Amino acid sequence: VDDERVFAAVRRSVLEVVPEVDPSAIAWDRTLDDLGCNSIDRADIVTMTMADLAITVPVQEFRQGQDIRSLVSLFRRYS
Amino acid sequence: VTGRAGIEALNVYGGVACIPVAALFAGRGLDPGRFGNLLMRRRSVGLPFEDPVTNAVNAAKPLVDRLDAEARDAIELVVTSTESGVDYSKSISSYVHEHLGLGRRCRLVEVKQACYSATAALQLAVAYVASGISPGARVLLIATDVALVDAAAEYAEPATGTGAVAMLVGDNPKVLAVDLGAFGTHSFETMDSSRPTPEADVVDVDRSLLAYLECLQQSFLDYRSRVEDADFTAATFDYRAMHTPFPGMVRAGHRKLMRELAGASAEEIEEDYERRVAPSLAYPGDVGNLFSGSLYLALSSVVDRVRPAAPARVGLFSYGSGCSSEFFSGVVDGDSTAVLAEMCIEERLAARRELTFEEYERLLPETNRCLVPERHRRLEAGRWHEVAAGVPRPGPLLALRAVEDYHRRYEWI
Repeated sequence: VDDERVFAAVRRSVLEVVPEVDPSAIAWDRTLDDLGCNSIDRADIVTMTMADLAITVPVQEFRQGQDIRSLVSLFRRYS
Repeated sequence: VTGRAGIEALNVYGGVACIPVAALFAGRGLDPGRFGNLLMRRRSVGLPFEDPVTNAVNAAKPLVDRLDAEARDAIELVVTSTESGVDYSKSISSYVHEHLGLGRRCRLVEVKQACYSATAALQLAVAYVASGISPGARVLLIATDVALVDAAAEYAEPATGTGAVAMLVGDNPKVLAVDLGAFGTHSFETMDSSRPTPEADVVDVDRSLLAYLECLQQSFLDYRSRVEDADFTAATFDYRAMHTPFPGMVRAGHRKLMRELAGASAEEIEEDYERRVAPSLAYPGDVGNLFSGSLYLALSSVVDRVRPAAPARVGLFSYGSGCSSEFFSGVVDGDSTAVLAEMCIEERLAARRELTFEEYERLLPETNRCLVPERHRRLEAGRWHEVAAGVPRPGPLLALRAVEDYHRRYEWI
């Protein structure tokens, strides 16, 4: 699984959970918070992306304020 | 096990003051677009003469006052569950026992595991009662805490409450007959939220939400492994009460499990939420997160909102950061409605004095130091008492008066 494929999965989840987000705003150095996602949206996005990639990342690995780049690298580590 | 055990009586103390969450959003400049995610209307606010001891006593006193001498002497154990300890050694329950005037043939202890601890204590108390080793024994269990949040907590500030829930546990469980042996647990070490000093709540919101959701699913699956044919839907549970850090979290957890375990559509989930889950959120949305008391605040909300006349099964989920969790169940009925109605919880929450944002800000530097150990301290006589005086209540209120050589001194006002 390469970075681009994981990024695409994150992007799909973001657009499904918060369809009002401008797709071009979903970039490597942005956080989900930057995109206007509240805490529930963020949990939904992470959960959906894990289901999409068929992976399980232990909850201890997540932290508040991660940008999309670090989320992608975390998902890759467990794929 | 064939015995009956569970909650015989329950009371909520949600303070004498509150603030509308809209006022807090406006005062802090929080994004109004996130208001809907919280599903909060107001939250309780502590006053400088209140602490975890006064909250506990003020919740338990109406329960204890209703008992005759014999029933009071049957209280063999007083447990406080809290993440707001006032001493590394001395328990809050030792103060509570004194100010409730309970008998000396009694065990006193305090337990801690973030917002889960009251459930651990309840299950141990239920097992103690059901074991029959001391027939007629009662346990007084009080979940008590104080808020330690300010602007730095961002969206957790409007969602964090203060107060206590007191429960009498015994073999005549009129409020909630616990389904003995029907439980599921899920626990593992994680640092999602903690209180490392008496002044700091440290929270990683994202990690905490994900841990909560994982625990809800896993503890329910463990429950299902013990309870044949158990189903997350209305087929097994007429209502649901869950730990409520904010009502939006419960809504999200319900949605996730209904989707993943029951394969329900969005419309079915919404209809099911309104019918089975929303009744549990009325009080939490008016008080805020009561820490380990939160689940039992949600339970009282179910009973007072639904007012069951016939037996109904409630699925309960308890989660405490760090983390430990449990899914269990019990039955409420017409007795639950009658016993809880005597406590007038809704009326007393409605009677709280609404503070302005300016008043709230003036309180914070003092109330957020509530747990900081001090050798000597004297509270200015009568200060802020007028807020309590203006609020109708069933009897006198316990208030902190002074700290003398670390010994906390109280008075009735």
